[in-house]
Amino acid sequence: MQTKIKIIPIILITLFLTGCGSTQNTVQAEEAQTATIFAMDTVMELSVYGSETLLDGAESIILALERELSVTDAESEIYAVNRDGAGSVSADTAELLNRALELCARTDGALDISIYPVVRTWGFTTGEYRVPDSEELRALLECVDYTRISFDGESALSLAEGMEIDLGSVAKGYASSRVIQYWKNNGVTSALLNLGGNVHALGTKPDGSAWRVAIADPEQNGYLGVLEVVDQAVITSGGYERYFEQDGKTYWHIIDPDTGCPAESGLISVTVVGSDGVLCDALSTSLFVMGLDGASALWNESDDFEAVFVTSDDAVYVTEGLADNFSPLGDYEGQEATVIYRA
Amino acid sequence: MLKTRTWVIILAAVLICAVGLSFWTLGRKADGTVANVYQDGVCIRSVDLSRVTESERIVIEGAGGTNTILVEPGRICIEAADCPDQVCVNTGWISDSAAPIVCLPHRLVIRIEGGAESDGAPDALSQ
Repeated sequence: MQTKIKIIPIILITLFLTGCGSTQNTVQAEEAQTATIFAMDTVMELSVYGSETLLDGAESIILALERELSVTDAESEIYAVNRDGAGSVSADTAELLNRALELCARTDGALDISIYPVVRTWGFTTGEYRVPDSEELRALLECVDYTRISFDGESALSLAEGMEIDLGSVAKGYASSRVIQYWKNNGVTSALLNLGGNVHALGTKPDGSAWRVAIADPEQNGYLGVLEVVDQAVITSGGYERYFEQDGKTYWHIIDPDTGCPAESGLISVTVVGSDGVLCDALSTSLFVMGLDGASALWNESDDFEAVFVTSDDAVYVTEGLADNFSPLGDYEGQEATVIYRA
Repeated sequence: MLKTRTWVIILAAVLICAVGLSFWTLGRKADGTVANVYQDGVCIRSVDLSRVTESERIVIEGAGGTNTILVEPGRICIEAADCPDQVCVNTGWISDSAAPIVCLPHRLVIRIEGGAESDGAPDALSQ
């Protein structure tokens, strides 16, 4: 009789342990569905809390956009327009083209979607790097001018003689916004996209906390810092991403449409944070071209993005809206980031 | 009487096994920071970076070309590659799950998986 009583606690403990096991199963069921896709000349990491079909849907959206927007695929709409000088584009391309042209104007040409022939000449699209001479650049720059792109806003697109366009500077931002919208429409409340370094968060993490997105250290030594974001895209442009060295000089892939040469604005990294992927993608490159003063001025008259800047002397600047969400890390941990306030 | 004692022993044994098993499973997860090397999306090599004691080179030959991986305690990088853009080499060392090393021309991806999450690593890297 006494022994029987002793058995009861043991049974209870065993049951408790089984219970522990099943809680672990529920945690597993909430694990993210993930996929890796090679598209748009980069690697994309998709992570969504929800059903696996959400990944298939996202992949279709990305691949369809790639087919329309690719500048090297002979079947794409953009390729045809570049080859023929004119053509008609589908609704997605039209929407992105409208946004891109609007941003070219808003950045006063620091973003110019007709810079493509110059970027190609430097070898940044192929990996066959070379330094073009000034004569060659001058000839190419004559055909760089987004204001000479005529588009009816819906489908009819025509380019000036010798001009070629590339929507690569906004395509990934557009793809992430489209996928996020598709997931939201399907009830997703937690997801994270990383399209080749363009990070876009949907909602919060499943536990309700903010996503922690690190910014790459432009000196290639770990991280610059971490941003806590909810429902935002975090897109960084830096000279370290794609570059080559020749005769002791470093040439990076961010080209200033004014000079046709790598942008030397005093900035080495720009991160743009906002809810619109296209805007963040476009501005990360163009603010880099504009430099700290021009970029701060544009931010001051806008209310749809925030930014983090690193200058060539390793000083870090954050706009007012990010001051509480940004924590410096590693080599930058000791220094306080300078907050840029609205004038 | 003897029957009850047998039950007690069996239950005690089950209990010990259960406790041991849970420690083993939980312990295993907290352990290794594993770097997985993917070629065309297929994992072709795994290295437990927490068990690396001295640096080691791993040469990966693929249809696209060759990448030389360098492994050190807790971190991994691509030291050399015959790809045209050298983006994989320029990426430098990685030591957590925030971002993979990618060699697009060779369709090679090195990703750190497992362990890192509990170390408070960021969820993603914007670059």
